[in-house]
Amino acid sequence: MEDKVYWKGLEELEQTSMSSDKEFAEDLPVLGSITESITTQGATSRRDFLKMLGFSTTAAVIAAGCEMPVRKSIPYALKPEEVIPGVANYYASVMYQGGDYCPVLVKTREGRPIKVEGNSMSTVTRGGSSARVHSSVLSLYDGARYRNPKRGKENITWEVADKEIGEKLKSIKDANGKIVIFSSSIASPSTLAAIAEFKSAYGAEHMVSDAVSYSGMLDANEKSFGTRTIPSYNFDKAKVIVGLGCDFLGTWLSPIEFAADWAVNRKVTKENRKMSKHIQVESALTITGSAADKRIPVKPSEEATFAVDLYKAVSGGSSGNAKADSVAKELIANKGAAVVVSGSNDANVQMVVNAINEALESYGSTISFTSTYNTKTGSDKSAVELAEKLASGDVKAVIFYNCNPVHTHPMAAKLADGIKKAALSVSFNERMDETSEACQYVCPDHNWLESWNDISPKTGVYHICQPTITKLFDTRQAQDTLLKWSGSKENYYDFIRSHWEKNVYPKQSKYNGFNALWDVIVHDGELIIEGGSESKFSGGGVEGAIGAVSSTYANMGDIQVKLYESVAMGNGYWTDNPFQQELPDPITKITWGNYVMVPISWRQKNNVKNDLELKDYQLVKVTANGQSVTLPAVAVPGLANGTFAIALGYGKTVTNPLSKDELQVGKNAYPLLAMMGDNFSYVSKATIEILPQTEKVAITQSHHNITLKDLGGIKKRKVVKETTLAEYIKNEKGNAGNEDREEILEEQVSLYYKHEKIGPHWNMSIDLNTCIGCGSCVTACNVENNVPVVGKDQVIRSREMHWMRIDRYFTYNEMIQDGTETLPAENIDVVFQPLMCQHCDNAPCENVCPVAATNHSSEGLNQMAYNRCIGTRYCANNCPYKVRRFNWYDYQGADAFDGKRVSKFWANEGLLSNATQALQEPLARMVLNPDVTVRSRGVIEKCSFCVQRIQEGKLSAKKENRPLKDGDVVTACQSACPTNAIVFGDRNDEKSAIRTRVEDERTYGVIEEIHTMPNVTYLTKVRNRDAEKA
Amino acid sequence: MHAYESDFREPLINGLDKTYTKITDDLVTPTERTYKGWWLTISVFAVLACVFVFCLCWTVFYGIGVWGLNKTVDWAWDITNFVWWIGIGHAGTLISAILLLFRQRFRTGINRAAEAMTIFAVICAGMFPVFHMGRVWDCFFIFPYPNTRGPLWVNFNSPLLWDVFAISTYFSVSVLFWYSGLMPDFATIRDRAKGKYRKMIYNVLSFGWTGTAKQWQRFESLSLVLAGLSTPLVLSVHTIVSFDFATSVIPGWHTTIFPPYFVAGAIFSGFAMVETLMLIVRKVFKLEDYITVNHIESMNKIIVLTGSIVGIAYITEMFIAWYSGYLYEQFAFYNRALGKYWWAYAWMMSCNVLSPQLYWFKPFRRNLWITFILSIFVNIGMWFERFVIIVTSLADDFLPGSWAYFQPTWVDVGIFVGSIGLFMTLFLLFARFFPVIAIAEVKSIFRTSSEVAKAERAKKENLSNGGFVGHTTFGILDKDAK
Repeated sequence: MEDKVYWKGLEELEQTSMSSDKEFAEDLPVLGSITESITTQGATSRRDFLKMLGFSTTAAVIAAGCEMPVRKSIPYALKPEEVIPGVANYYASVMYQGGDYCPVLVKTREGRPIKVEGNSMSTVTRGGSSARVHSSVLSLYDGARYRNPKRGKENITWEVADKEIGEKLKSIKDANGKIVIFSSSIASPSTLAAIAEFKSAYGAEHMVSDAVSYSGMLDANEKSFGTRTIPSYNFDKAKVIVGLGCDFLGTWLSPIEFAADWAVNRKVTKENRKMSKHIQVESALTITGSAADKRIPVKPSEEATFAVDLYKAVSGGSSGNAKADSVAKELIANKGAAVVVSGSNDANVQMVVNAINEALESYGSTISFTSTYNTKTGSDKSAVELAEKLASGDVKAVIFYNCNPVHTHPMAAKLADGIKKAALSVSFNERMDETSEACQYVCPDHNWLESWNDISPKTGVYHICQPTITKLFDTRQAQDTLLKWSGSKENYYDFIRSHWEKNVYPKQSKYNGFNALWDVIVHDGELIIEGGSESKFSGGGVEGAIGAVSSTYANMGDIQVKLYESVAMGNGYWTDNPFQQELPDPITKITWGNYVMVPISWRQKNNVKNDLELKDYQLVKVTANGQSVTLPAVAVPGLANGTFAIALGYGKTVTNPLSKDELQVGKNAYPLLAMMGDNFSYVSKATIEILPQTEKVAITQSHHNITLKDLGGIKKRKVVKETTLAEYIKNEKGNAGNEDREEILEEQVSLYYKHEKIGPHWNMSIDLNTCIGCGSCVTACNVENNVPVVGKDQVIRSREMHWMRIDRYFTYNEMIQDGTETLPAENIDVVFQPLMCQHCDNAPCENVCPVAATNHSSEGLNQMAYNRCIGTRYCANNCPYKVRRFNWYDYQGADAFDGKRVSKFWANEGLLSNATQALQEPLARMVLNPDVTVRSRGVIEKCSFCVQRIQEGKLSAKKENRPLKDGDVVTACQSACPTNAIVFGDRNDEKSAIRTRVEDERTYGVIEEIHTMPNVTYLTKVRNRDAEKA
Repeated sequence: MHAYESDFREPLINGLDKTYTKITDDLVTPTERTYKGWWLTISVFAVLACVFVFCLCWTVFYGIGVWGLNKTVDWAWDITNFVWWIGIGHAGTLISAILLLFRQRFRTGINRAAEAMTIFAVICAGMFPVFHMGRVWDCFFIFPYPNTRGPLWVNFNSPLLWDVFAISTYFSVSVLFWYSGLMPDFATIRDRAKGKYRKMIYNVLSFGWTGTAKQWQRFESLSLVLAGLSTPLVLSVHTIVSFDFATSVIPGWHTTIFPPYFVAGAIFSGFAMVETLMLIVRKVFKLEDYITVNHIESMNKIIVLTGSIVGIAYITEMFIAWYSGYLYEQFAFYNRALGKYWWAYAWMMSCNVLSPQLYWFKPFRRNLWITFILSIFVNIGMWFERFVIIVTSLADDFLPGSWAYFQPTWVDVGIFVGSIGLFMTLFLLFARFFPVIAIAEVKSIFRTSSEVAKAERAKKENLSNGGFVGHTTFGILDKDAK
């Protein structure tokens, strides 16, 4: 009788798409070995029997004879309700750390938070996140965390701490001594209420100051609008955006939110050939300036004077500054849809900017006072006041919360002395830092991942922060401590709830009953309450401000230093985090340490050594405000003459003791800040001394010009493709800048047999137009895929392990004509190109591996079998994209062959960096993603397209008995991107987003002319500028 | 092989006092006494060999990270050394196989040492592909053996796998060739041996060779068969090694010229290394009569030929890069000559292409000092050639965003210098215990190409007023019979 074929559905019959019950498109060859004949043919031959007998006996002997490592694991006696081993749980929460705010989802596995991702239900950040957000999960497992309360160096119990501090507080209060709580901006309404309780109990004062200050802007708004707040900026509503030294995509105010908003009008398609115009006037090159359509390089002082010129031009007159006039023309043409932002901390500058925005009718459209920021409320005056009052002995007791002024205060030395004079000094900081070391008591706070809290970043926006793990150490949440000291019996969780019931619940009408509201916000993580009113621009004081700006910045001299917040380090909060330390700066691509950015012309004139090959840079001593720092000088294109920039936040002196050599890199530039008026000035006149010494800098990419002039005129490597909006509009096909692709695709022929593709064909598309180079994807990938941190020395040796890198290319913004040697290095554009394994369908790496450890899946993935890899590195050599990474050492402590385990004698501490070794500690290893193999020494690794997530997506589809659908699989980098530049999905799915992207005429593959057939493609960058300036 | 040889050819065995006995004496004596300085020399090189072992242990213990490699340059000194040693290992087989088939008699003076050198060079070379593996303990994965993993086979598309077969085959055939040639000579040593154990050991080594006509006949046949087998190997081994690069996509590697260019380069460096060694050996062991200036000159001719082939290859590469109109290829070669590794290119060009051109002039070809210095230059140049190909191509390839610079560490240096130590230790042991010149083979050309034979012939010729005397060499036999 014939064999009848039975099938369950059409898909199975036709094998068109992946049927839901099949995890793999092809049959697995699991029975292909010695057992095959036994199981499939039914008859066991004598030879097979003997084979099996021999094998099993040998296996049993080996298993019994060798000593096996014993690992103790404790099963759940009572399984927690929500925890299923192997299945991740996600909790909505909010991160507000080091001044950075982001609504997040926390991924936990078996009760351990292992990843933090942007909450896509948030209307503020639209699911975006930043590198800092991704790294923050590692801070939970930081070896620098305090494990119990301390008195000086001595460990004490909470009872002792409460008793002693309580007594001291009481006696100070009785003596009418001044008690101060000093903190960074607090965006939590309940925390403020708890502080209020404490204030009323002790007559204390709460002083707020931010390390990187927005105090000047707040002061200006107070004068212009009568309210000391920062309004919302709606970049998504703006057609023209002008930034004046304002890195709003990278570091300024609320960068994740702004990047998402900014990207809305930057996405062009064939159908929608429109985009906003972004003009950036700046001194230090930032990612915002890099993303701009037009970047005007100026000296730091000119960032301020440009605002004045712009104001004059916008308000009808001529400024005498042609550049400002042309910018003003664009702005005026888009009145009501324009916005000007300034990063200055000078109240006068901000007042001028307010006047510009008023003249442009921005208030009520692109800028709105209906919702104002709670994340920046600090005042520089209070920072100075605290230092003075502590020094004079006026402040008897001081409590530091969420701040590290002994590191970040410009008068840190004075402050540290002052703290010693106080009768009581307490730090609530959770990690070891300079301020805590200076205090008598440390009452460590929980990590935010262990805490209940509420955050209201802007008025009308509320998030709940919920604990995702029980406290790891004997810590206590600061709010609980404050409540306890104020004599309240309530715990903070109940306190938040009652605060909400009283203050938030009545403001809304959507939810009936407080518990309903609470459950929804804990689940969704966000609550929006509309309302709030606009403030009226008073117009006062603008003329005075203009005069002040002109006189202040007129004579700043030829050497001006700009102190800036770096994308990785923030205000210094992230210095303890090795992931952030190893994140290459988007612009300079330097990790582990700060440096002085200097203009190329200055470097050439002074012959300052910048050895790109040996990564050796000459040291310079920068003096400003009577203080000096010695740092390597790194020449960066795009800096106007006279611009010198130094990142803040580095040079901590108290960090994780296990890796302090590594984490204390760089120099602290905060002392260079000078008081100007009521606020600290981040721009000042400076002097520079070139020292004879040099220093190795851990740079991951040197500054190569992509244009190769020396060979037969100008030829461009078609690695990044760019066009202008004007060209793009003119071009009917929609392939402006990508015209050569047609020919490339036509000429692609192969000798190889074309593999049949069954099921999905995974593809990724990256829009170069909206990639801002922020590095969020890089860090997300590191955390998701257990990518090791290798430390400064290894980065100097070019051995960073990142699976993703963001290539940064400089190019002249005007085409060099034949015969012209160079243009001034200021006239540059910057392009960012995220690069990971391109999963080539015709992969050069695959056919050179002698042991077939890397191979191609039927779904288009280039896979690595770590177990099979013997480490010849041939694949890495033959990869034209150079995205394969080799485990030079046992970076993760994964290897049984590790020297440390053999004996202490053999453990050569010099080879692995301290930071890497610290991450091998059991505490830090809790952050590892159990779904991803920890690679041992001697194997190659690389981007897997988050194959574990693909598998998870398939399995959930299988469980729900449905085919995979678009959006089931989201890679770590894709979910991390604040501008949604990355799209991932199944190209065979006609309705998928990736299909649309792949079929877009802007799509191209990097060096696809060598016939690699990459599964990662890019969309050409389009800059909104006139055609002739390509 | 007692064919006629023109008297215009220079003799290949000098000295009018030579007889078969004298030849045996001259060539076996070095195995019977320890020369002055031998202990000192071997100690120095043995220490270096220990450095080699130590550095390899260090690498295996801590990881490949102790080398200077990085994310962009994943091969550097390791594979440079590998290709260098394999190249050196080409002279032996070329001399014994190809020159045998072409009946080049001058090979008899140098073939034994050249073959030994080949084997030791291949041993050194073989170390690198093994120890450059990140997980050397799993190196057996590279062999296609039946297994329970599927079964999972090796990737037959990978040139690295072809290397495994090519090198192991070459090594086996070279060892066979070398050893079969040694058997009659071991028997000669045995026959002169004084001590009981010495006699026993050399007897075992000679496989009980007795020198019967049947044995000689089989010996000759075997030589021819092995020569036939190894001739294609001379061409194939380095061709396959060059495939490691030629089949890749990296500009500077992806070049169809590589197979002939690599083979020529290999013969070039192999002959240079033979010269370096033989010039010392002939002096120390007083074998000037057997390794004559004529031998040296013949080798120098091959060096100038192969050196020029290599030079043409360099220029061709440059031309093709320009002619291709392909930016990446153009950049790779521009960068090779004028980029950050320009000095390596300069070393390569001056040592490999310029210096051998001296050999167009006879006085230079016959000057031993110049030959010795140039032979070392050639090997320096050839090392740099591999370094240039491997490192400069990798360091700056397609995407400028990934470019990097390679710097060696002490372990890299230690392994390289150590491998020279290993090579020299093996060679010194060989020179002390084995006959460095193939005794039987030299004897085979005594009747035709020695100074004695030529003198005899000349005498006969004078006697018979210039008549044809090609076969009248009985006088020598008479002399020997005395």
